[in-house]
Amino acid sequence: MKRNKGMIILFLTPAVLMFSVIFLYPIIRTIVMSFFKIDGITDPVAKWQFTGLSNFVRLANTSLFRISMWNLFRIWLIGGIIVMSLALLFAVIITSGIRFKSFFRAVIYLPNIVSAVALATMWLQYVYSPKFGLLKTVFTNLGLTSLAKIQWLDNDHKFAALLLAYCFGMVGYHMLIFASGIERISSDYFEAATLDGANKLNQFRYITLPLLKGVFKTNITMWSVTSVGFFVWSQLFSTVTADTQTITPMVYMYMQIFGAGNSITERNSGLGAAIGVLLSVCVVAVFWLCNHLLRDDDLEF
Amino acid sequence: MRKKVMALVLTSAMAVSLAACGGGGQTAETTAAPAADDGQGEAAAPAGDGSGLVYWSMWEATEPQGQAIQAAVDQFTADTGISVDLQFKGRTGIREGLQPALDAGTNIDLFDEDIDRVNTTWGQYLMDLEELAKAVDYESTANAGLMAACREVGGGTLKSIPYQPNVFAFFYNQAIFDEAGITAVPATWAELDAACAKIKEAGYTPITCDDAYITCMFGYHMSRLVGEPKTEEIVKGGQWDDPSVAATAEAYADFASKGYFSETIASNVWPAGQNQELAMGTAAMYLNGSWLPNEVKDMAGDDFVWGCFSYPALEGGTDGVDAANYGAQVLAINKDSQKAEDAFKLICYITQGEFDQMLSELSIGIPADSNNTEWPALISCVKPVMDSMNTRYPWAAGAEANADMTPIIKENFLKLCGGSIDAQGFVDALKKAGN
Repeated sequence: MKRNKGMIILFLTPAVLMFSVIFLYPIIRTIVMSFFKIDGITDPVAKWQFTGLSNFVRLANTSLFRISMWNLFRIWLIGGIIVMSLALLFAVIITSGIRFKSFFRAVIYLPNIVSAVALATMWLQYVYSPKFGLLKTVFTNLGLTSLAKIQWLDNDHKFAALLLAYCFGMVGYHMLIFASGIERISSDYFEAATLDGANKLNQFRYITLPLLKGVFKTNITMWSVTSVGFFVWSQLFSTVTADTQTITPMVYMYMQIFGAGNSITERNSGLGAAIGVLLSVCVVAVFWLCNHLLRDDDLEF
Repeated sequence: MRKKVMALVLTSAMAVSLAACGGGGQTAETTAAPAADDGQGEAAAPAGDGSGLVYWSMWEATEPQGQAIQAAVDQFTADTGISVDLQFKGRTGIREGLQPALDAGTNIDLFDEDIDRVNTTWGQYLMDLEELAKAVDYESTANAGLMAACREVGGGTLKSIPYQPNVFAFFYNQAIFDEAGITAVPATWAELDAACAKIKEAGYTPITCDDAYITCMFGYHMSRLVGEPKTEEIVKGGQWDDPSVAATAEAYADFASKGYFSETIASNVWPAGQNQELAMGTAAMYLNGSWLPNEVKDMAGDDFVWGCFSYPALEGGTDGVDAANYGAQVLAINKDSQKAEDAFKLICYITQGEFDQMLSELSIGIPADSNNTEWPALISCVKPVMDSMNTRYPWAAGAEANADMTPIIKENFLKLCGGSIDAQGFVDALKKAGN
């Protein structure tokens, strides 16, 4: 086929231009900003003060930022295991030919269409309330008095409380991705396996799971990207001032760029940019790991 | 391989752009009603085209403050024929969006926000209002203390005009005080101790709080002991070995051991303490701003009688009960505005006379105009406290001056009040965190 270079350039130019302006420029600017001390996020470049790697050094030496990274890691890992496990389980059940499939799918997905503010208020002011909360009532009725006495929102339990509330809302989304992946697998494989005497568990282990590698990769990447952007739930679980159990790098970044709480605190958008760079490195690392650990190039179906 | 490189680039692009856009809030915008006829047959100048005023407000259109400001703007337009593009940005919207908009040269004539943020964070964008205020003798009806506060944070000159004043103090349930036999508000720590003992004896929780405000108690106690500037120095410099830190922790550990704090204080996520304990009549006191009665009025009911007293003085302490975080929201004019006189006229509409009174009544807040002597009944108890103020603290009396330490102070002060750590544990935790 004869290639017309002029046409290629003509058709590619708008896309390349858009990519450069909308993606490439902010990326490069963010990386450059991370080496400067910048008070206001829109300060002119002339007001930027070059500080080399000091933003990164300061982040490494700030215990609150380290706490926020630890919280993010816990959300990503523990939350990821909980959400992926439940999402896969529900997806398998939903696609197994049960009755009222659409109803169950809608119910599990429902938290995704309810505002996070409403959901968080429900969890904070009702489910976890030490006075009349759902958990307190249930445990009291079951005679589990020690569990009923737990203050779910004190420092020792707040992270778990946040994670549970967040995961509750995320399962449905990832379930849908898993379910679409399972439905993509031809029923011929399962029929053949059934004829060969494989039970449901073996079919899941040797057919469904291997053929879902690509979907796993998608889900883990999506989970990682949304975890890195963890912000709203953290804000809702600790209004006004941040909390050591709920702070994430994104909240810390916000504090650095727009000021913390009601006080007038020092602002440094360069530090915020450095956090953005670190977070993007984390996501790329996860993506790279997924690509190497979950190879699905050898499978075609 | 090329595909993988491309995938990596795209993933990093997604992550960085997500990070760069983090925390973006939603902005609620409304525009003022079309300008009314001024009675002379001339159509009012449309806003936003350079002939009307553009006003960015921190409120939402549905809030009482937003409604009063809208009414003032409508009247202003009707009286003068000057249209106003009034945009309600909400707290997050103005905090995140004002400075970028001003830097980008957006036509904004006036805006409002908290006194400290306007004068400190956005100080470089403010017009000096001394001459404009003098021309209309503005200060003849203004609150002198608040005008002085505006000049203080404005670097010695008037760059903002206060409205909706507030003061941060102990708010209490008068019925519980009466039942416990407390006849005078506590003015010293020993008197507060005695009052708490009586309240506990009467079967109520003496003090409650929420996570959002707990650092204020730490800040106030520290500032009473050593003054606010020193408190800020300790918090910013990590001087946790200063004896005042241990003394503050010991005072609160003592109260915790006596059972003066709510059993759930360590797990009260705002607004649980103010709504479920104070407003419901199970707890007696809460250190908060004068906006509190308005926030909980639907839960507290009409028969709830409020009391207010300044944070008690401490024996041998630097500051007395005449010091507190008092301030206001303020209105300021963009230094590049071409319509400063019109903008100041609008400020007068909002902060004086009829609409100041309306704002006070709708929001159950303190009027800014000294001629508006009628305070809403719910907060009439605040007047003696407000009138007695001489020294102004910033927010949380300096306790939140170091953003890297605020969550750590908050966590450990909650634990201290909840009784799970002692005074030494509190000091050790702050020292361990460094910063």
